[in-house]
Amino acid sequence: MARALASVLILCCGLSAAAQETSQEQDVPLSPQCEAPSALAPAAEPLENAAASLQRGRTLRVLAIGSSSTSGVGASSRSKSYPAQMSALLLKALKGVEVEVTNRGVSGEVAKTTSERLRSEVALHKPDLVIWQLGTNDALARVPMEEVEATVSATLDWLKENRVDVVLVGPQYTTRYARDPNYAAMRDLLRKLAEQHKVLYIRRYDAMQAIAHARASQQMMANDNFHLNDLGYQCMAEHIARAVVGGIHLRKYRPGGMP
Amino acid sequence: MRKPNEIDFWRGFALVTIFVNHVPGLWFERFTFRNVSLSDSAELFVLLAGWSLRLVVDNQSAQLTLWRLVLRLGGRAITIYAAQILITMIALALIAGASLLFDAPVVLDWHNAGPVFVNPVESHVGLVLLTHQLGYFNILPLYVVLMFGAPMIGLVYRIARPLLLPISLAVYLATLVMGVNFHTWPVEGRWFLNPFAWQLIFVLGFELGGRDGLARWAQTHRRALRLAALPIVIAGAAAALLQWSPDPIRVPDPKLLFMFDKTFLSPARVIHCLALVATFAGLFAYLEGPLPRITHYLSMLGRNSLNVFCVGSLLSLMGQLARFLLGGTVGIDAIILLLGLSIMGVVGWVSEWRARSQAS
Repeated sequence: MARALASVLILCCGLSAAAQETSQEQDVPLSPQCEAPSALAPAAEPLENAAASLQRGRTLRVLAIGSSSTSGVGASSRSKSYPAQMSALLLKALKGVEVEVTNRGVSGEVAKTTSERLRSEVALHKPDLVIWQLGTNDALARVPMEEVEATVSATLDWLKENRVDVVLVGPQYTTRYARDPNYAAMRDLLRKLAEQHKVLYIRRYDAMQAIAHARASQQMMANDNFHLNDLGYQCMAEHIARAVVGGIHLRKYRPGGMP
Repeated sequence: MRKPNEIDFWRGFALVTIFVNHVPGLWFERFTFRNVSLSDSAELFVLLAGWSLRLVVDNQSAQLTLWRLVLRLGGRAITIYAAQILITMIALALIAGASLLFDAPVVLDWHNAGPVFVNPVESHVGLVLLTHQLGYFNILPLYVVLMFGAPMIGLVYRIARPLLLPISLAVYLATLVMGVNFHTWPVEGRWFLNPFAWQLIFVLGFELGGRDGLARWAQTHRRALRLAALPIVIAGAAAALLQWSPDPIRVPDPKLLFMFDKTFLSPARVIHCLALVATFAGLFAYLEGPLPRITHYLSMLGRNSLNVFCVGSLLSLMGQLARFLLGGTVGIDAIILLLGLSIMGVVGWVSEWRARSQAS
């Protein structure tokens, strides 16, 4: 019940003030250019390990892994990649907490290869939270959906066993592949997997599409109409940071959620 | 040309496996041995590269002075480096060409190529320094570093043979304990295959390729080793099938020693690869009679391993582009596989034909 209540709080962006009342930490506000309908916000899932780590006063260690959208292809400089922008947002929202974001994006990579790197990175650096951006390259390289499902499922199970929180970030919206059936199937698959494994899922495609439709003149894409530009990455960082902070609050202030 | 032999046969086998494994989603991938194995074709390839290096040092270069041996091995490293630069450039052109031809900028991203097109100034420096590698084109950079280390291996082998394996093992252990690895640049990251760790399996191949020391010991205890290896191979298959791996939080420090890590080549993968060798070594003698064409084909690929590897890497990329454009049905996958294996065969044949015509 308490969890359902908290979910409602997090889901309704309009009620973010109410969520703030229960915490000393700030919510992450969305800039006007990045606002998307609150229905697109991820289903609430608590980030247990990240919150526990913060409660013990430790540095919040975040591993941002994935492909070009993580490494920042299309951004004007490395400081404009989404992990760099998100790091600043988290620092601001989680006052008094050290935040360490590691960027391990390799452009064009499929989930299978990323999952191997992910395991290695987790073993070496033990992050509290992994933000895994995926789907675009597998969909366009025509990797069979069953194979992606098996890879992602196994990796999510493995992260859970090792008590590492995870946020999945889906493919970007681009008019180029808006009609590609494989591209759509990938989004459905990732959403389903996130639900099954109870992890946060950022519906990047839907959010970007909503922003693009609401503000047709606003340019979020680089020249190639495939990669994001600085503003695109800013919106991505805001939406992810918002979900992360929401997930941390959910665990921290949920009755019975205390260790 | 030398007659088909076991080392060339397995090298050819590794080359075919690498080609198939490097087309993600290919239907036939399910039949490659990594699905039932802890270690994969990368370990096998590097082990056999070390093995072949020993044959070069012992047979072709046995008469050379120390200085000439070092020069010869260093020269080989430069050949492999040149091959890496060449196939990287062709791969970039394939990627760029496909994106132009099919108006698909998504392709520019593939294999970590994105930064080369978006940030060419830094990336070109990285390409030449090997700090920027294309995905799936990361075995050759490892091989380049190992071959640049080969003169050192040759030197220690000639001067202080018993120290070679202990030194290699010490470097390996220090690497895993401290977690050191080469950095990538301009993209922030680390090498996918860590040369400090992977040199161990290269040196193990070098040791096993000889007729004394470790190789002799393994030869005398062949039966016992095979018996000991079998449970390891079975356990590796079970772990792969069940997707089981040690829990990195629960294993004691230094964790990399107890995990199944590929980048740092955890001991489990080394041991498993050696167990595979102990189990399947000698298989060639049984296969050559009933399957002469297949064994001779794979041996021919193995004899021309660098050329075949380079063309195979590019063929994998073309296979991915074909799947992207045409969709990944079993029929298309079968065509990709057949064309790929045929072209690799032609490359092997042409390489030998050239060598023959130069000799005569």
